[in-house]
Amino acid sequence: MTASVETAAAQAGKPPRDWVLISLWISLVVVAAVWIAPFVFIVFTSLKSTAQVMTSSAFAPPTDPQFSNFTAAWARGRFSTTVVNSVIITAVKVPLGLFLSAMAAYALAKIPMRFGKLILVLILFGTMIPFQVMLAPIFTLVNGFGLIDTYPGVILPYLAFGIPYQVFILYGFFRNIPHELSEAARIDGASHFTTFRRVFLPVSLPVLAALFILDFVATWNEFAMALVLLQDREMWTLPLGLSAFQGQFSRDYGQLNAAIVMTVLPAIIVYLIFQRYFVSGLTSGAVKG
Amino acid sequence: MTKFATVTSAAIAAGLLLVATSLSAAENITFWTLNFSSEAANKAFTAVVSDFEAANPGAEVTVVTRGTDDHKTAIRVAAGTDKGPDIYFMWAGLGLGGEYVKAGLSLPLDKYYADYKWDDEVVPAAGSFSRMYPGGRHGVPSSLSGEALYYNKSLFAKAGITSTPANYDELVADAEKLKAAGIPAIAFGGTVNWHVMRLMDVILEAKCGAEKHDALTAMTVKWTDEACVVQSFGELQKWGKNYILSPFMGIDDSQAFNLFLANRAAMMLEGDWLVQQLAEAGKIDDIDLFPFPTRTNRLYGFANYYYVSSKSKNPDLAAKFLDYLLSTPVQQKLLGVSGTTSINKNVTYGELRPMTKKWLDLFNTHDKVFLNGDQAFPLDITTEYFRVINEVVSGNMAPADAAAAMQTFITNKG
Amino acid sequence: MAERAILSNTRVQAALLLGPALVVYVVFAVFPMLDVIWLSFFKWNGLDPVKAYVGTANYVDVFTKDPVFWVAFRNTVIWTALSVAIPPMIGLALALGLNQPIFGRNSLRAIYYLPVIIASIAVATMWRWMYDPFFGLFGQILTSLGLQAWVPDWLGNRDIALYSAFGAYVWQSVGFSMVLFLAGLQGVNKSLVEAARIDGAGRWAVFRYVTLPALRTTLTIVLVLAIISSLKAFDIVYGLTGGGPAQSTQMLALWAFTQSMQIFDFGRGSAISVVLLAVTLAVVIPYMRWSQKREETAE
Repeated sequence: MTASVETAAAQAGKPPRDWVLISLWISLVVVAAVWIAPFVFIVFTSLKSTAQVMTSSAFAPPTDPQFSNFTAAWARGRFSTTVVNSVIITAVKVPLGLFLSAMAAYALAKIPMRFGKLILVLILFGTMIPFQVMLAPIFTLVNGFGLIDTYPGVILPYLAFGIPYQVFILYGFFRNIPHELSEAARIDGASHFTTFRRVFLPVSLPVLAALFILDFVATWNEFAMALVLLQDREMWTLPLGLSAFQGQFSRDYGQLNAAIVMTVLPAIIVYLIFQRYFVSGLTSGAVKG
Repeated sequence: MTKFATVTSAAIAAGLLLVATSLSAAENITFWTLNFSSEAANKAFTAVVSDFEAANPGAEVTVVTRGTDDHKTAIRVAAGTDKGPDIYFMWAGLGLGGEYVKAGLSLPLDKYYADYKWDDEVVPAAGSFSRMYPGGRHGVPSSLSGEALYYNKSLFAKAGITSTPANYDELVADAEKLKAAGIPAIAFGGTVNWHVMRLMDVILEAKCGAEKHDALTAMTVKWTDEACVVQSFGELQKWGKNYILSPFMGIDDSQAFNLFLANRAAMMLEGDWLVQQLAEAGKIDDIDLFPFPTRTNRLYGFANYYYVSSKSKNPDLAAKFLDYLLSTPVQQKLLGVSGTTSINKNVTYGELRPMTKKWLDLFNTHDKVFLNGDQAFPLDITTEYFRVINEVVSGNMAPADAAAAMQTFITNKG
Repeated sequence: MAERAILSNTRVQAALLLGPALVVYVVFAVFPMLDVIWLSFFKWNGLDPVKAYVGTANYVDVFTKDPVFWVAFRNTVIWTALSVAIPPMIGLALALGLNQPIFGRNSLRAIYYLPVIIASIAVATMWRWMYDPFFGLFGQILTSLGLQAWVPDWLGNRDIALYSAFGAYVWQSVGFSMVLFLAGLQGVNKSLVEAARIDGAGRWAVFRYVTLPALRTTLTIVLVLAIISSLKAFDIVYGLTGGGPAQSTQMLALWAFTQSMQIFDFGRGSAISVVLLAVTLAVVIPYMRWSQKREETAE
């Protein structure tokens, strides 16, 4: 089912000196340099004082690194508040959302239902519709529940808009799990809950891990809905804090860039750690499903 | 200092006297305002509140602070319920403040203005806004901001400008001199729409005069009927093409300020709050200011106000608190903490920066203010005003078309 | 005992498994979508106690009296067309390159993918700074090449601002297509490729007749996701230009947000949302049916 990259590479890599491959490699490296240049620029700027920014070249490394930019940006950008909010929201939303989606996907894939097909279409539909269209009604709805500026007020809509894609992926994955596997468990008298927990959850761990990382990044980075639902700055998440920082202190170039670095760093670290897991999970789940 | 102490104790005595005569039952009011600019301001305000509570047994004031956008939304969220504030902060003017007045959320304060004689205490320019709404006087001033032209003295000298311009044409002539000397005359940041808007506001005031300008912002005359409108848009375009440090549409106001500090442009049209920033940047000695020469004898600026909610169950207490807040001793206490100047005209000032002194004189010598466009217009018109200004200043729309676009939008709104 | 019996009922089990997700989804996603349609027939500023029914007036206003709506409409179409074409194309090229046995493949892949995991608003903040006409990266590069006079006002010139913003979007979204294509390429039958090679097929021929057909499913997914995520341009445009200069980079989603949440004209904002919703459906529904049909005939 999964032909590994390594064997493919070994097979295709017979000609030792292939000028096409060499020029390909050079162009890929050039593209990579272009791709990484913005990060270098941001990090360099984050360590310069405003005067240095205005006089030195963009790619000149900071001669006298201003680490104080980071402490100043941390305080002015209220990072101690926004980080905590981001962590709480993400830590609740991601596992909970994944669990709800997995249960629903299992039910749709393995339990015959009268309206199963219809519900599936309804959910698929959700993967296509951008929530950006509905910011105002989401606001009035959450306001109607009295949940503006609360964690549940933002987590519930996040769940609602995360569910379709996750169900879509997991449904595809569960459907491809051999029938014998689930039937064997069912014949043994296990309920669907047990089958789901004992059989399906373990085998879908790679997909779940991939979805977990994807959803972590998406939740951590979400901006538009938070902008509408979290009005109180005590409730702001990291992206909202960064946006406000940009609006207020854009002339402190060094601090602004320090704020950018601090905002994106957690996601980058998570990505670098789970990178392999992430790609392999996506491979087995998203595309083949 | 001693004078200050006597004033304070007199006020407390007066407060105690009032307690004996009025209030008895426990009452509470909620006060919604913006986040305080500093911890010191926060502390000072908290002290004012507890002093008031101490002087009025049974009275309780709950202060809720929020960020700007949050505050605007929160008032809307509360409008549909009965959980709103008794006193709320809002800008003065027919735009933002006026919308709430129009929706019936603000209580007319004529009675309290008469009872408490607020007009004897308030700087006239700041108090003038309470009279602009139909159906009575609304709100009391919390602070007054003015905007004027700050200029770089050495750049002016370099361009051979020896005195500040007395009228608009002289200003343009100076801008031309600066241009000839290779100096961009003025810096603006176009991404925040209200920055370039200031230039259009003051040109309209200069070209149309006070009365017509007011009629235009009140939308009681047609923008297409007044020749001065097209003329003003034409002037704006001229500034955009010749005198504004370019490119300016892709930067914001604070980046423009950076360029001004770096001597890249000779002027900025900025508010009184810039004094503090200039001092922090160590540039205050190189800079001076003069009001934009509109020749209408009105100061360009805007005011922040406190309004009493029409839904308040304790409007008398709310007014009493506002009276306490406006009083000379309290304002004296808040001075220098939440602003460099006060809206109370009886407040005494100690040693002031020359530039702050200049602002104080401007506030005291002008009894009329013309408002920033975004405070004067309703929100949707403001959005269109921004768009038209940006099109004109970047040369994408002819002045006559701009006037027509404004009028079409106003007519369509009905 | 009775409890066990109920729980062993398949229908109950299905309901318990499916229920929570479905309820949250219907209440917080499906209902707002219907609500936005409902709201679009009312005039409401968020302050008045009652919403006034105005029929189709909001639509008439939006179509005939709103000077920005058609600009936003046009920009949304351009943006969607560009984001269906360009990032997937670059993503495919990179994936094909990375599918070869070359040195440092994993690091290269990680680099291309890195921007994907960064918050759009952070990407916007980064690029806004790089587009700074005075001290930004691009301005400095042009200046150092002696092209000082050519430094454009990237985000302030209405003729190029939309494309400047799109540049940031390309940088951010290419990695996503690339990873999906890379995954799809692993599904390409290696023996088929070998067989074609032995038969003397060139690289292009192998790509055209073996690889590309095998990537069909992946291609479908990538393009659908490209359309969906192109509408998420909200964050990046909000952060880079806020719709300016002079509303020239305004998009439907952002304009709906501006009308509802900043001008507080909920009716008009909802009408704009409904238009966007209709456009999205007009693209998505035929596309889904088409791809489904192709899949069925292929099987």
